[in-house]
Amino acid sequence: MKVRLPFRHQQAQESPYSIVVKDLTKCFGDFTAVNHISFEVRKGEIFGFLGANGAGKTTAIRMLCSLLQPTSGNATIAGYDLATQPKLIKRHIGYMSQKFSLYDDLTIFENMQLFGTIYGIPRKELKDRIFSRLENLHLADKSKTLVASIPLGWKQKLAFATAMLHRPDIVFLDEPTSGVDPIVRREFWNLIYEAASHGVTIFVTTHYMDEAEYCGRISIMSHGELKLIGTPTELKEQMQVDSIEKVFVKYVVR
Amino acid sequence: MAVISVHDIIKSYGHIRALKGVSFDVEEGEVFGVVGPDGAGKSTLFNILTTLLLPDSGTATVLGRDLFKEYLEIRKNIGYLPGTFSLYPDLTVEENLIFFATMYQSSIRENMSIIKPIWQQLMPFKKRPAGKLSGGMKQKLALCCALIHKPTLLFLDEPTTGVDPVSRKEFWEILGTIKTQGITVVVSTPYMDEATLCDRIALLQEGTFIRMDTPPNIISSFKGELVTLRTDDIFKLLRKMADCPLNCTFYPYGENLHVIFYDPIATILPQFEEFLQQNDIAYDNLMQISPTIEDCFIEIAGSTHP
Amino acid sequence: MKELQQILKKEFTHIFRDRITLFLVLAIPIMLVLLFGFTISTDIHHATISVLDLSNDSQSKALVEKITASGYFEVVSYPKSESEIGNDFRDKNIKLAIIIPNEFEEQLTNEKFVTIQIISDVSDMNVASILNNYVKAILIDFTNDYNGTATMPIELCTQMMYNPEANSVYMFVPGIITLIMIIVTALMSSITLAREVETGTMRMLLIAPVNKAWVVVGKVIPYMILSFISTITIIVISVLVFKMPIKGSVWLLLAVCIVFMLTSASFGTAISSLVKTQIDAMMITMMGLFLPTALLSGFLFPIDNMPYFFQILANIFPGKWFIIAIKDVMLKGSGFFDIWLYMLILFLMAAVLMTLSLIRLDKRR
Repeated sequence: MKVRLPFRHQQAQESPYSIVVKDLTKCFGDFTAVNHISFEVRKGEIFGFLGANGAGKTTAIRMLCSLLQPTSGNATIAGYDLATQPKLIKRHIGYMSQKFSLYDDLTIFENMQLFGTIYGIPRKELKDRIFSRLENLHLADKSKTLVASIPLGWKQKLAFATAMLHRPDIVFLDEPTSGVDPIVRREFWNLIYEAASHGVTIFVTTHYMDEAEYCGRISIMSHGELKLIGTPTELKEQMQVDSIEKVFVKYVVR
Repeated sequence: MAVISVHDIIKSYGHIRALKGVSFDVEEGEVFGVVGPDGAGKSTLFNILTTLLLPDSGTATVLGRDLFKEYLEIRKNIGYLPGTFSLYPDLTVEENLIFFATMYQSSIRENMSIIKPIWQQLMPFKKRPAGKLSGGMKQKLALCCALIHKPTLLFLDEPTTGVDPVSRKEFWEILGTIKTQGITVVVSTPYMDEATLCDRIALLQEGTFIRMDTPPNIISSFKGELVTLRTDDIFKLLRKMADCPLNCTFYPYGENLHVIFYDPIATILPQFEEFLQQNDIAYDNLMQISPTIEDCFIEIAGSTHP
Repeated sequence: MKELQQILKKEFTHIFRDRITLFLVLAIPIMLVLLFGFTISTDIHHATISVLDLSNDSQSKALVEKITASGYFEVVSYPKSESEIGNDFRDKNIKLAIIIPNEFEEQLTNEKFVTIQIISDVSDMNVASILNNYVKAILIDFTNDYNGTATMPIELCTQMMYNPEANSVYMFVPGIITLIMIIVTALMSSITLAREVETGTMRMLLIAPVNKAWVVVGKVIPYMILSFISTITIIVISVLVFKMPIKGSVWLLLAVCIVFMLTSASFGTAISSLVKTQIDAMMITMMGLFLPTALLSGFLFPIDNMPYFFQILANIFPGKWFIIAIKDVMLKGSGFFDIWLYMLILFLMAAVLMTLSLIRLDKRR
């Protein structure tokens, strides 16, 4: 009998893809939330995951983060098998959402320390990493500020930095910029570009259609199915419209 | 006569000054948009105008009545859709509507004409618990509940936040029909593109109105020359732009880069093209365009932004 | 009025759709009563007793035979005089002594009342009460066999030893009624009011031109009804299963319960007017009302034995006054004029708290 796991791991390391999804399906009772979706995301790609409310985006993300057991189908995330290596997947991905990001009643440093420790970063190393991140964000002198008292935009940038502390291969961002002002939103996307340029794969959902244009490739989900996938330019040409917003409206209304 | 008239409203929570002296009037029958990011003070302003919260100082009248003394009268004639889903999730769609109708001494039958277009979309889900509706449907039900007593003034606190573009569009179409019934609407939103759908908007930033005017006026008073261009590697371009010697503000806008110049376009554009060529940047579609509300927000707020 | 009706309807809908909570609210009282009632296993077999048979005739022998045959008792000594009984308690560790009077058979045939005396070791109140009940049951059975009717010509005279102030073995019933009312009225109304704040529906109600008193009253009444059902269940179980006496008027008893429900509900609304989340409402009600009531109301520990400070403190918790009042009604048979002061105290507490919470609820902050 062959020992397959290390082999598979190595093979995945060489693959240009950091996410490979095959026929992933999730049913709740007789309701199919996610219906046989398949796609690949390259390493270092910014992949936009769009869809109407209730289209199945959140369910799909929860499966990819190995928080939810798929009904059928499988995926390889960061080179690990979703069905058999969920723990390794969790170690190599970062996650951030608009709904929950940081604890309001802890300081910036305490939050980052908490999440860093959870991911097993050694204490001394962790402190260095936290301060270098905070320096990047020009927040080093605010490390002792309670998260509750900082503006939402900063909070989201900090949450992103925190999700990146353990140097994940992939970060999942679930509506990271919802309600953030246009300027901070762009600053946030700067951080995303920077991370992607270092080879981190970005998997992001958003309701801002202009942000969809910032993505390398986007996909549009509707009623549990992946309807469209491609670069923003491709999709616009395909649908013969001049913005992703129009692609979205045209597609979802149909 | 102004439906809402606010003078120098100030509200602080502890050290945090949520509203730093806001004044404005809302005219009868208009859709007034309060546009600004989360934490700018939108909800505080709404809570004050809907008589839930007392400001530290300032005066205001709503529907011609004093906000402080006659708040009970005001309550009878305003409708309010809060920013978070505030209906009973375990009651059905119909039960929620009946409940709120009764709370306003009204009934569904009495004011069916106002909510009819929205209610028809909800009819198939009449017996479903409100908590099990999709996001868009929840908003429509909440809107029905806010309209069921036939208010003359409607407050909508971020009705479209976190809602997908299609549902957002639908929601604004519904607002259009509400307006035709003579109901004055005050709506807040973090989406700049929705601002153009309002008759007048106030850009709220850190507790102050940085601009208040009609969308066309705001756009026409844009100071600077706006230029757009497209490139394949926008991140690279952004980094190069950081070293750009020209006096400009730049930011990604969809797939394009927007650059605001503060000098006459005829002299600055050749210099800019030269800069792009020097830095080896492939681009196309370089042209001057008229700004959107989002460009205006960035231009106005950018000068005060940290 | 239509608004109140609608609020009540809505509240009942909440209650009936939340089956788990409804089940718990209705089942917990029954469980608690039975749990307390049977905490000490009722399967007491071969309890050691002494029998002082002063008549020693055929009927008295038959009675002793019946007691032994029941399997519950084992007669370890037949003392000759009452003075010997004390020694048996000390030396033979008997749980109970039965004294059958002179001329037992003769009195019985003449259909006179016979007094049988029982002396119990009440150092364990539960055991004593259970054994007493056994003896009672056996006696009823015995007279039944004798004349075919359930009327008992035999009177039981019980004397408590070692714990003469044992107040009552029925102490736990008033205690449970108190705790259940706090859980159902105070806890449930504070939690559900806090839920309205949490979900934002309270804001919708505040902004509506509806009388705020209706909102609170409509919220509280359904839980008062639930709690009233629970209370009646407890009383019925206590009377039927544990032979709890109700010496006073049942109506007065129910009236006292209703007043306490009001007080309890007012505590609930007052707590909810201070908090923003359901968790806070629950914690404050449990820690600030439920536990102190359990500990200080005299239900678990006699108030007289507490340090002076706690005796004073006990006064601010409504449970103390309520327990005194229903105990008096149930066990002493007190009438309205004996307990009106306690009812007034409870009522005043309710009025003050309800007013304060209504003011606070309607205040714009």
